[in-house]
Amino acid sequence: MTLKMIKYIFILLFFYTSLSGADESTNLIPDLKIKLLDGSKVSLHELVEEGPLMIDFWATWCVPCKKVMKYLDQYNQEYQSQGFKVLMINTDSPRSIGKVKSYIRSQKHTFKVGLDPNKVISKKLNGLVMPTLILVDKGGEIKWRHQGYLPGEEVEIEKQIKLLLNNK
Amino acid sequence: MISKIVGFFSFFLFLMALEANELDFNAGVNSSFGNSYDFYSFSENTLDLNIFYKNFQSWVQYEYSNPPDIGFPINDIRKFRMEYDSRNFLIKLGDIYEIWGRGLSLNQFDDQTTNFDNGLRGLFIEYNKNPFTISHINGSSEFWNLGFDLRVPYFKDKHNMIANRFQYEKGTFTLGLTQLQSNEVHSKQDLNTANVSHKINGFYTSLFMKNFDYFIEYVDKISTEEVISIGSLPNDSLKHGYGLYANYNIYLGSWGFLSEYKKYAFDSFHGDQNADDYGNQILYQQMPSLGKEHNSTLLGRLSHNYNFNDERGVQYELNGSFYDISLTAQYAHLSRNQTWESMSGPFDWVRKPLKSNLPSTDISSLPYYENYQELSGYFLSDQLYFKLGRGGNKEVIGTNWYYNGLQTDTTLTTTFNYDTSYSIYLPDYPIITIDSLVDTSSTSYNINAKNWRESKSYTIPFELNYSMSNGYTFGIGFQYQERKLVEKREGNAKSYNVAQSKWIMVNPDDHSETFKSSVSQLSYDGQNKSTQFNRLISLTVSKASKWSFSLTQDWTNAYEVQNVDPYYNPLEALIYGDLKYFTGDRDKVKPPSFIQDKWLSAEFIYYITSSQRISIMYGSIQGGLFCSNGICRLIPSFNDGLKIGYSASF
Repeated sequence: MTLKMIKYIFILLFFYTSLSGADESTNLIPDLKIKLLDGSKVSLHELVEEGPLMIDFWATWCVPCKKVMKYLDQYNQEYQSQGFKVLMINTDSPRSIGKVKSYIRSQKHTFKVGLDPNKVISKKLNGLVMPTLILVDKGGEIKWRHQGYLPGEEVEIEKQIKLLLNNK
Repeated sequence: MISKIVGFFSFFLFLMALEANELDFNAGVNSSFGNSYDFYSFSENTLDLNIFYKNFQSWVQYEYSNPPDIGFPINDIRKFRMEYDSRNFLIKLGDIYEIWGRGLSLNQFDDQTTNFDNGLRGLFIEYNKNPFTISHINGSSEFWNLGFDLRVPYFKDKHNMIANRFQYEKGTFTLGLTQLQSNEVHSKQDLNTANVSHKINGFYTSLFMKNFDYFIEYVDKISTEEVISIGSLPNDSLKHGYGLYANYNIYLGSWGFLSEYKKYAFDSFHGDQNADDYGNQILYQQMPSLGKEHNSTLLGRLSHNYNFNDERGVQYELNGSFYDISLTAQYAHLSRNQTWESMSGPFDWVRKPLKSNLPSTDISSLPYYENYQELSGYFLSDQLYFKLGRGGNKEVIGTNWYYNGLQTDTTLTTTFNYDTSYSIYLPDYPIITIDSLVDTSSTSYNINAKNWRESKSYTIPFELNYSMSNGYTFGIGFQYQERKLVEKREGNAKSYNVAQSKWIMVNPDDHSETFKSSVSQLSYDGQNKSTQFNRLISLTVSKASKWSFSLTQDWTNAYEVQNVDPYYNPLEALIYGDLKYFTGDRDKVKPPSFIQDKWLSAEFIYYITSSQRISIMYGSIQGGLFCSNGICRLIPSFNDGLKIGYSASF
């Protein structure tokens, strides 16, 4: 009986979520805490206090992730003065997590890198497809989601960032 | 009971959402369907819902799969969890996934692609008062392991687990103490069960600085088995082992150098886990493997079968960049913690611990070597991307015999003594007494007999993409691999005679004469092949944010186990210009010989919106080893079939 009840509740919630998904203005990012590559900790709400935030999930073995990182780092530097920043959440398991900082340093990337080795954060933000980009405005509202990366999509990514910065 | 709590909790949040509109949530949908000519069919559908309300969070995953790609059919809530997160307290109830340190005592994750799930259903409590954190977990898990069927699990192990952690964090320095105890009901091959208790105690420490960082973790493990047979002492110690992992990184400018060391010695007698082997490393322990996680299909198929019970090794990796070119160079060397030598014949083995703490090159310690180098970068104002790699590996897969010692030949001589004295019973004949005197004179000589299986390969992955300003990209990917799999023999003895319990010499008259042989284990249609050539080529065209189309051909010339593509399909006929297929002059099912060693597939991906996409794949995919997250499984081939996938996040 209990499981049946949960099923019905779940289905109700799912439809409610789907319908509400159309109205993205109600979609706030949760205040999740994340450990950064330098050993410090930060919460997502702290990061969006200063300005818009682009979250991207990646792993060292994911080739499309590495391709889009190059452009995200450019945007991180280019729009930093307007409060925009990029948070790259790494989902490498403990088996290759030791290689993350080495790779980031080799690419001279300047964005913040978070660690999510057992995919707790990526599950909470539905970022299991890699790369998954989530653009959040200063108030914490999710404004844009994007799954995967095909070459040329950096144009659309920059367009969305500019749109958000111009509307703030 | 837990389900009831979650149900009410979700309902409560739902009502709150309707009333206060302070509820945030997101949802994800993943759906995949597949059906092939040889009845390999699956239908997997999952819905994930996350709900956030102030300090509360809830996650539910609903799955309808009948059947899934791997696992059991399900039409139910598969996973759920609710959390309360305040400034100092974190409480989780439901399906718990945690990592402590680098996973030597606890590393939980759910990977449906390999059907690996070592999560726990129960309670997690954490209290944080800087710089101290105390964590507690308790609950139960059911681990399902595959038997002979590659898609449906057969063996089930139940664990009741309790674990505690104390962590001190000051700046970028961390020190953690961990303790885990699990009582396991282990399912054996004959479907009987064994009650086993595991106790793991350990610590880890790390420090992150600008130009270097380190991480060290050590755990000690004791397993005991509840013995119920009469005459045995209860709770006999079953296995005692330990694990050590260390990682030290140095960074200079745009260069990073990684070094890792591991020594896992949980059970040297049982390297390969099976249903009748228990008490060693448990599934909660998922440790660094010290191997490269590859994104190349062909390199992924060669992944070493890491032994978490008995393996040591080192790994070094250099990452750097110059101009717009990125460089990666990696080297790893692993081996068992001891050599294994035959005591006399090939059936009795004795182990000798290695003299140093480094991995060994001795064949009987089953060494594994791998190296990988890669260059990648952009040219022509970022329009042209290239990646060129080279990976090599060499592995001793197993030894059949490995003996270096003495063999003694004993000479037996029978002597007849004649008694020629007179007898009243047989006056005409002398009495003959057969007094056989054994002459025990013997000769000893040295035997050097080695027989092992070895795999050696190198792979070259290459990728080139050209992007145009109008959003179109053309790409080509090519992977080339040469692999040898041989059984080697060397020494002055070529085999062992079981009936005589004796090594058979290469030359019985000259014990110093030696030989070497190398026999390939690869074949095609019954014909032995010395080298396996694998080639994988893919052509891709894509339009940014809209669609992507790729055509992939996998081609091999030899197999360890024959696994030809058994079905012909119109895509293969079209690509190879086989007009006979379309004019009706060709068997529609059995492929002609020129296609039997090739697997061809086409995939189209369409982006409905930026966060929704659908993929359609048609063709054949070669089976083999598939690895993800360091967990590998053999996947059956997918012949002449259709796969459809849909994923969305809201």
